[in-house]
Amino acid sequence: MLLYGLDFLVFVGIFGIVALSLNLEFGFAGIANFGKVAFFLIGAYTYALLSKIGIPFSLCLIAGALTSALFGLLISLPALRLRTDYLAIAILAFGEILRLIVKSESWIAGGDWGISVAPAISTAGASHHVGVLVNIGLVYFCLLICFVIAQLLANSPYGRVVRAIREDEIAAEALGKDRAKYKAQILMIGSAMVGVAGGLYAQYLHYVLPSMFMPMVTFTVWIMVLLGGPGNNWGALLGAGLVELFKYGTNLAKDYLNLPVDPINLQYILFGVLIILVLFYRPQGLLKESPIKTKALELARYGKGVVNNKPSK
Amino acid sequence: MAVNWAQVLFNSAVTGSIYLLGAVGLSITYGLSGFPNFAHAELITLGAFIGYFVAEQLGLGLPAALIVAFLVTGGVGFLCYRGIFQPLAKRGATIIHLMVASIALGFILRHSIGAVWSWKPLYFTTAWSAFDVGQVRVTGLWLWLIFVAVTLAFIMHLILTRTKIGKAIRATSSNPELALASGINIDRVIWITWFIGAGLAAIAGIFRASDTQIWPMTGWDIILPIFAVVILGGIGNYYGAVAAAFIIGLAENVGVVILVALGLSSTYRIGIAFMILIITLIVKPQGLAMLFRRA
Repeated sequence: MLLYGLDFLVFVGIFGIVALSLNLEFGFAGIANFGKVAFFLIGAYTYALLSKIGIPFSLCLIAGALTSALFGLLISLPALRLRTDYLAIAILAFGEILRLIVKSESWIAGGDWGISVAPAISTAGASHHVGVLVNIGLVYFCLLICFVIAQLLANSPYGRVVRAIREDEIAAEALGKDRAKYKAQILMIGSAMVGVAGGLYAQYLHYVLPSMFMPMVTFTVWIMVLLGGPGNNWGALLGAGLVELFKYGTNLAKDYLNLPVDPINLQYILFGVLIILVLFYRPQGLLKESPIKTKALELARYGKGVVNNKPSK
Repeated sequence: MAVNWAQVLFNSAVTGSIYLLGAVGLSITYGLSGFPNFAHAELITLGAFIGYFVAEQLGLGLPAALIVAFLVTGGVGFLCYRGIFQPLAKRGATIIHLMVASIALGFILRHSIGAVWSWKPLYFTTAWSAFDVGQVRVTGLWLWLIFVAVTLAFIMHLILTRTKIGKAIRATSSNPELALASGINIDRVIWITWFIGAGLAAIAGIFRASDTQIWPMTGWDIILPIFAVVILGGIGNYYGAVAAAFIIGLAENVGVVILVALGLSSTYRIGIAFMILIITLIVKPQGLAMLFRRA
């Protein structure tokens, strides 16, 4: 039971990173990335292949982030000139094709059967609990870095430009902001984060398989962001926690309840219902979009008394 | 290696017919409602399973299966729009929200199907005799498929050009405000297109399933080429979709010949549709629409 709880924490951490990155892309920049899983796959496979030839895990994670960012840039070149819906279709298709490639080219990484991946930090000899605890440390360290980056981006002038582009592309362009450039950068940063998450995922599960990267992964993350609150980094984390809790809850329930329906089917049906309910009744998510924090605004809001006390002449 | 080009052409017509039936509904609803319904894949699957239920589990044969699946899936398509997408759009959902909702709906449908019929692949048991016409090997199923697809395409053409509702569909598709101002009941027009579109998807599903296998991913397996057809044909353009279906059918079958000649896996045939999709989006996002009058 304790192990179950620790395992849960690792998954919250990994998917927290993915949710943060989707929040950057969708919540802040308004990019409909329906192919999140493609970059997750790239990170995982890069990690798996590099760790196989004995490269230390930190470099593998960084390489996963860079490769993923590179693909993010490549897909953004044609994709960002497209309308929202075209972009969604194109990236979704990209993810499916990528999965097809690693599935049919068995020389890359074992095709359908996948390959095994060594854990990042070897805890051979120690109990399984220690291994999971080490993973928690590693995953939450990466999550912290990603969270700080996401918060800094969200509250910087850069983040404000990105939000402005989301709200009104034409107005932002009229102010001289190149929307394609900004979106490409956000897509690169987001993809790099997912790349790291993919590497962590691969080393935690000890293997990579094409069937781990079904489109469902993308939409689990979409539920996290929509539920938690797009445009709010804390919301993305909250969403990741809640969705994983729901997953673990249904998994536990299947051991104790005798359901007439296959619990996996039931879980996905409930996920679908959950998304539709959120879209109907709470499209802004549980947490509202975080207000922008800057020195000037803070002064305007909380420093008002100070300013007013000064002689106005 | 000698390639039997007559066979390749015939196979292209078979593939194209399935894509035609599968894509027309998606294209027209995409054009009218303004968002791509990703759950269209699951409407194809649902149609296939209803067909399987009628033809195999009830033993009523293929024609009955086609009719029942058309009506039931059409009803489901209508209910999806009426119950989910229309109210969402009225609440001011963005296009991203509508797309996410359609994917969520897809998961609900797919896994409900999985819960009812299980995830094990099933097969239609009707044995179709194969015979040779000249150099071309054909089966009764394929002839049926091409016949049904061409007939339905022609009926759709007649509906769109000769009937009042068809004219209303075209009017709404080219300018919704003007159509509304002219006294067309836009909601009703959109409901009817969702019904017909889902019904046609069901027929595509039955033929695809009879030709291969049937499982909850039957529709998702061909969603990429279907989107390629919709984009290449021009969103909401009926004649564009018809032409694009056969173009992509041809490209895939010729592509497979090339893939085999290059020694690559023929599972990449779906990659050909992907390439066409991406190239169309980059070079000419309006697709073939400029070649046809809007319908």
